[in-house]
Amino acid sequence: MRITLGAAGVVLIAAGLFFLLPLPGLWGVVAGFAGAIVLHDAIIGPVVLLAGLLVARLPDRVVVRGALITMGALTLITVPVLLRPGPRPNPTVLAQPYGLNLLICLVVVAVVAVVLVLVRRRR
Amino acid sequence: MGAMRSALPQFRGRLHDPRTAVAIGRWLGAAIVVCFLTGLISHVLQHPPGWMTGLLPTRPVWGYRLTQGLHVASGLAAIVLVMAKLWTVYPRLFAWPPFRSFTHLVERLTIALLVAATVFELFTGLINILQWYPWPFSFTQTHYAVAWIVAGSLLLHLALKAPLIRAHWRRKTSDVDAADRRALLAGVGAAVGAVTLTTAGQAFAPLRAFDLLAPRDPGIATQGVPVNRTAAAAQVTYASAAGWALEVAGPAPYRITLAELNALAQRRVRLPIACVEGWSADAWWTGVPIRDLLSRAGIPPGTALRVSSMEVWGYYRTTVMPAPYADDPQTLLALRLNDEVLSLDHGYPARIIAPNRPGVLQTKWVSRLEAL
Repeated sequence: MRITLGAAGVVLIAAGLFFLLPLPGLWGVVAGFAGAIVLHDAIIGPVVLLAGLLVARLPDRVVVRGALITMGALTLITVPVLLRPGPRPNPTVLAQPYGLNLLICLVVVAVVAVVLVLVRRRR
Repeated sequence: MGAMRSALPQFRGRLHDPRTAVAIGRWLGAAIVVCFLTGLISHVLQHPPGWMTGLLPTRPVWGYRLTQGLHVASGLAAIVLVMAKLWTVYPRLFAWPPFRSFTHLVERLTIALLVAATVFELFTGLINILQWYPWPFSFTQTHYAVAWIVAGSLLLHLALKAPLIRAHWRRKTSDVDAADRRALLAGVGAAVGAVTLTTAGQAFAPLRAFDLLAPRDPGIATQGVPVNRTAAAAQVTYASAAGWALEVAGPAPYRITLAELNALAQRRVRLPIACVEGWSADAWWTGVPIRDLLSRAGIPPGTALRVSSMEVWGYYRTTVMPAPYADDPQTLLALRLNDEVLSLDHGYPARIIAPNRPGVLQTKWVSRLEAL
């Protein structure tokens, strides 16, 4: 069972490389793979761990941690929109005020967290 | 060596453990499976292998809408889950010695490939739905190839870790971290929920009010439907569309003007436009069934078509319509959208609308239909 699963994995990786290697701009993919590891292991990982260290001694740590994870996730998926340079392809694409909308989302998460803390303390 | 080891960071957090990795990994695995399969569906519909062209399904009409909405939703969820999963296993990056045996070295290299391919695939996908292409490669071809590498390295990872996964599939009865882990998982679940709630409205109408962060808001549209490729980009103008006539090439070829098309029996259907980028919108389309136009040219049912556009340049200037779509009574040469004459950006004077088909293949500014 394990061997079959592993062998299937090797076959799929080989298929992926077979599709990938003839494509133009391959150096961009190699750089992207390396960049993905550096982005996470050297930047996102340490920042998150540092945040965890700061939160560790707080009262209501559990709620604060959940709120920070949620805020981080919302920010992570919105940062590329905010960084995107150049004009929009047409007025129906990227038509929302993303900076403001993200701010609204973060405030809502913070309010929900505060309410949760109050409810937990009352019990 | 001892100095090296003491220079490495120490981790005292208690949830960097196999049980947490398994609990988050299950969700991540499910998201990746959904994302991979729905991506594969889109690939097959856009590039069907020869033997499949006659078998492509036109029902359910919302099939492409559902699968590509899920593709982007599961991909966005996977971005959150992969970050949580990597946080859990982060201390293992500093394991010392770096490898204990050949098998262990292979295992670590497999993980490096899995992490690199997955993070690359998810973030290039995210950037693509913003219609931003800051790289030297073709997005669609690369996204397809790397998907197989992600799927393969995931299977290999599961095979190598099978005993550990099995040992931690269920929580141990004497687990002092159970409450803290439940709270962490609730936090990760809340994050996935928040990301889904604020983006899924671009495809799933009931959540449209919460669509704050998605690249598309289907409410921001012309004639009720968002636009991808504009007439300006395709270099089509009202001037260039003046004097337009549709050419139908078959055993009895003919040309037909817009006035003559308007005089033919019209059909009104409700079909979605659904994009591989995850957004979609339902609309009323009115026009002449393609099947009627083909019969007039003596083209028998079961025939695939080549559809040409007035577009000056574009990857989809000519497309192939497999027989199941050409035969479907709901496939129209549409002249109206939501009961208004098509705007230039929606394909004036005439466009294709077919059930369960990728948006890019719903050819606009149609100039010619040809039996293959």
